Formats: sequence, C-alpha cells, structure tokens
Amino acid sequence: MKCPQQREPVRAMHDALVTTMALTKRYGRFTALGDCTLEVRSGEVFGLLGPNGAGKTTLLRLLLGYLRPTSGTATIAGWDCYQHSLDVRRRVAYLPGEARLFRQMRGGEVLRFFAAIRGGAMQDRALQLASRLDLDLNRRVSNMSTGMRQKLALAAALATDAELVILDEPTANLDPTIRGTVLELVDEARRAGGTVVFSSHVLSEVEQVCDRVAILRAGELVRLQVMSELRQRHRISALVHGALPPAPAELSGQLRIDIQPAGRVVIETPGELSPLLGWLSTLPLNEVRIEPVGLRAVYDEVHVGTKMDD
Amino acid sequence: MTDKRSRTKKPEARQAHRVRLALLGKSWREARLLMLSSALILFAFCWVRVWVVSLLPTDRFKTIVEQFREFERFVPVSLEQLFTYPGRIALTYDELIVVMGMAIWAIARGSDTVAGELSRGTLEMVLAQPVSRQRVVLTQATVTVLGAALLALATWFGLYVGIHTTHVDEPVAAPVLPLSVFGLDPQQVLQEGETRRVAMSTKVNAHDLWPAAANLFALGFFLAGLSTLVSSMDSHRWRTIGIVAAIYVLQLIMKIVALASENLKWLFHWTFFTAYDPERFVSLAVHTPEDAWRLILVDDQGAWQALGPLGYDLLLIGMGVAAYLAATWIFCRRDLPAPL
Repeated sequence: MKCPQQREPVRAMHDALVTTMALTKRYGRFTALGDCTLEVRSGEVFGLLGPNGAGKTTLLRLLLGYLRPTSGTATIAGWDCYQHSLDVRRRVAYLPGEARLFRQMRGGEVLRFFAAIRGGAMQDRALQLASRLDLDLNRRVSNMSTGMRQKLALAAALATDAELVILDEPTANLDPTIRGTVLELVDEARRAGGTVVFSSHVLSEVEQVCDRVAILRAGELVRLQVMSELRQRHRISALVHGALPPAPAELSGQLRIDIQPAGRVVIETPGELSPLLGWLSTLPLNEVRIEPVGLRAVYDEVHVGTKMDD
Repeated sequence: MTDKRSRTKKPEARQAHRVRLALLGKSWREARLLMLSSALILFAFCWVRVWVVSLLPTDRFKTIVEQFREFERFVPVSLEQLFTYPGRIALTYDELIVVMGMAIWAIARGSDTVAGELSRGTLEMVLAQPVSRQRVVLTQATVTVLGAALLALATWFGLYVGIHTTHVDEPVAAPVLPLSVFGLDPQQVLQEGETRRVAMSTKVNAHDLWPAAANLFALGFFLAGLSTLVSSMDSHRWRTIGIVAAIYVLQLIMKIVALASENLKWLFHWTFFTAYDPERFVSLAVHTPEDAWRLILVDDQGAWQALGPLGYDLLLIGMGVAAYLAATWIFCRRDLPAPL
C-alpha cells in the first residue's frame, strides 16, 4: 500500500517557494477556503491575518498536506502539497497554534526525538534555542505549562534547517519577554535567508516582522499588502476652515480625500509624504495630525467591507 | 555510478533507520506502562489459576460440573475433557481476565493509532516531520503486535510456572497385586481415601498449552487491526473504543446465541469468536498432538472436517492484516482536522 507516488517537483518560474492556485477547501456547503491564489517568495516573512474562521489554519493545513484540497493546487518548492506531502514536509518546519507534545517525555527527550527524525545538526541548535527561551528541559511535558510547551515546540520547529517555517500563532500563550524573543528569532530566520509563513491575530507582531501580509476573511483572500508600501502610507487628519482647494495635479491622482461632517478632513497618501507637505502648508487647517497608516487601518477597511456586504 | 548511488543511499538508509527507531521509541514510551502491567497481571493470574485448580481435586470438580451436564453445548469440548487437569487449565484461556486483558491491550493501542493521537494533537506534530502516514501506522502496529505476543507469552509462562510449582493430591489406586497371597488384606494395607501428592507437571505438559496461547495472540492481533481500522476513520478515541466494544459484545452475543439454538447455528460463520477456541486446541494437542498445529483437520479418508488450530489462528491474523491494510489506505487519504 502506498500513498501517492513521488515525481519530480514542478518549480515555479520565479522565486516563489509557496504557490497556491485557486486553492479551495469545502466541507459540504461550507467553504473553509475559496479560490485562494497567492505566492510566498523565498526569503520573505509572509503574514496571514484574519479573524477566527477566516481560513488561515485551513490554508496552513492544506500546505502541510493534512487536508485534501477540494479543488486547486498548492505547491512548496515545486512539490504538490497533497500528492507529495512527504517531500514537502522535508522542506517545512511547522509550529501549530497550540502545540501538543508527548506527555510521557521530558523536554530534552522531545528535542532528541525531533532531532532523530530530522537528522543533521538540529539537536545542538534546538538546545541553544531552548536555553535562549529559558526552557527547563528536565521537566516532563505533562508537568509543563501551555506556554512552556509552546516554547519547546518552537525550539524544535526553529532548530530545523527547513527551507520554509510555518508558524501558526507562535506567540499565543507566551509572556511579553518571550514574545519579543520569538519575533527576534523570526527576524533572524529571515536574515539567514529562510522563508517564514507567520499566522497571527496580533497586528503589531505581523507589522513588525512581515514583508507581505495576506488578509483573509470568511475563507477568502481579500487583500495582499506589501508592508514596505504600507509603511510609506500616511494619514493626515485636520479641521478645515472653509472649502478645501483642489489638490495639485501631480498629487491628485494619488491622494484619497475624505471630507467628514463638522469640517474634519482625512487625507491619505499611498507614497512619500514630502511632496504633500508643501501643499498642506497652504491649506486653512487646524489641529493637524499626521500618522502612518498601520495594518490596523487596512484590517479595519477589510472588515468594514464585511459589514457593508452584510 | 553504482558506487556513487550506494554512497548517497547509505546516509538516507541510516536516516530512515533513525526515524524508525525514534518512532518506535515514542510508541514504546506510550505503551510500556499498559503493556508491562497487563503482562504482569496475566502472568500472575495464570499462575494463581493453576494453583486454584490444584486445590480442587478433579474428582470433586467432576461432581460439581456434572450438575450442569445440560449446558454442555455451551462448552467447546466435551465435559470429559474438563475432568482432566489439562482441560481445566486450558479453561484459563476462556477466563474473563485473560480475554479482556488481551482485548483491552489491543483496543487501547489500536484506538490510539490515529484517533487517539489526533485527539491529543500529537499526530500533527509527528506528521509535520518528514514521516509518512504508513510509517505511523506501521510503527504503532509493530508495538501493538509485539505487545500482544508478550501478553500471550505471559499467559503461557504463568501457566508454565504454575504447573511446575504446584502439586495435586490424588487418590491412591488400590494395588492390583494379590496381596492376599502374602496373607494380607488390601483393605488393611490402604486406608480408604488415602491420597498422594504429585507434581502438577506430571499431569499437564505445559507445551500442550501453546496452541491456546497462539490463539489468544491471534485474537489480540485481530482486535488490534479492527480497532486501528475504526480509529483510522475517527477523530475521537472514546468513540473508537465505544464502537469496537459494541462490535465485540455483539459478536460475543452472536456466538452465545449460535451455541444455544440449533436454528441459529449459521451465526457461527459471522462471529470472530468462532475462531477463538483455545480449549479445543489444547484438547487436540493432548489427544492428537499431530493435529495441534494443523491448518485443516481431515478425517481418516482425508476429507476436510474443519479448520485446524493454525487455520483459525491464520484466519484471525488474516482478518487483522486486512483491517490494518484498510486502515492504512483510509488514513493515507483522509483529512486530518485540527485537534479540539
């Protein structure tokens, strides 16, 4: 008896490590993930953002071959995630949202177990990470708190030399200090050339570590945001006295101007702020506030859309 | 070219070996407490049971059992077989503790293979590694089957130790020598009810019990396969255990009904308990040792009579293998939901 046969991987034409094409997972009439098409490039930290039930975990489980797609395809390093799941998992390290480890083992034994399966120099790296995460490896897993178990699983996942690390809410159940260490580790993985898929509910964390973010809503990919572009976006909020003169021609195509009741105006710029400053100084504005457009704003936009659809 | 290929294959083979050992070690850790405690209980029970048999002389046991002659059809061997020490000791393999000991082991381990690991959430940690789903089933099956063999061995060894450490009192037969020739009255020489103490090992050959132990192992193998099959489709271990326990009870009832009613004898063909017949196999080993390990039993003309002990064992093991293969096929193709 054999699971699907191995064939040669089909590499994407560019540097995409993960590719999904119209990936769909349905359970009866319920669509957990619909028509999801995206790419994760080698060397980037790719965020997955969305509320509960948005389809993040379904997408990750499809990538790991735990679920059979209803339609569409997903590949990692050219290998089909379902048909050649074993080849995919040789290249992937995964940390689930709530890591459940083997209760009979001690921390050190868990790391030795994963090191034996992965081979290479994983055990030494795992021990270093465990020390950095302040883990007591002599304690039995059954006697560990949820946070300690999560740290142990994190050490096991990040110690591998996998091409892709998939982290599903890696900081859940961790204290703020260790959260910071985890984000540092993700950043180090990126700097070492690794690729990370980072799923989280915490906007600030995603904002801090991700290069691009996919926002999912009710099983659909609704926004793909490049974080460097988002960091350039600013929002100017002010009270305007009288009519607002039209923006200069060179700026008008880029700006989004929203005049609200009570004379408040909100201007959003997608790019550099400096060309806008000259024009702003000529406007009859009071109480001017300039702030970067964070991921929160993008996230809210998507969810305002949900309400409008309803 | 060949050298290059063999050089690259060796580290892969070594790594595959390491993976096998790591998974076996994990399964062993999970199973060892249940395995060793079950083995100890079965060993001790079987030993004690031989001792209990030794306490009640067979002639008195016969007097008791004769009261239930009308229920003989519920016993797979004739009551006369039960009036012998091998027959009484072979009954151990029908004792609830022995059968349930094996069933609990097989169902506990089989149900854990997929549903148990899935509900605990450890399966996704294992399958996040480069480990195939077949390897997961194979590893669990290896430990489960070795455990079943150990338990069957423990029962036999318990009986062996019991047989070699207990004694029975048996009435001394009146001498056949014509003592009156010497001017003695036999009644004066031997008091009525006089007994002598003999080792149980002079009454029972422990090797005659091997077919029963093998039959118990085959039952365990089948139940483990069945539990793994149900487990491969399920996500809740408690439900898997419930389903297998329900099948077990239903099959047992079918056997009892088939024994009770001539009209429902056909039910024998639909219950796996038909293949679990340790007393009859011990009886064959005692009376016709050449049949003790036969695949099929034939009459004097060479015509087929019934499956032999080995035939029934292989039937159970074959059904177990089929269940394991089906479980692997299903597990390789099913979705793995997130743990609750």
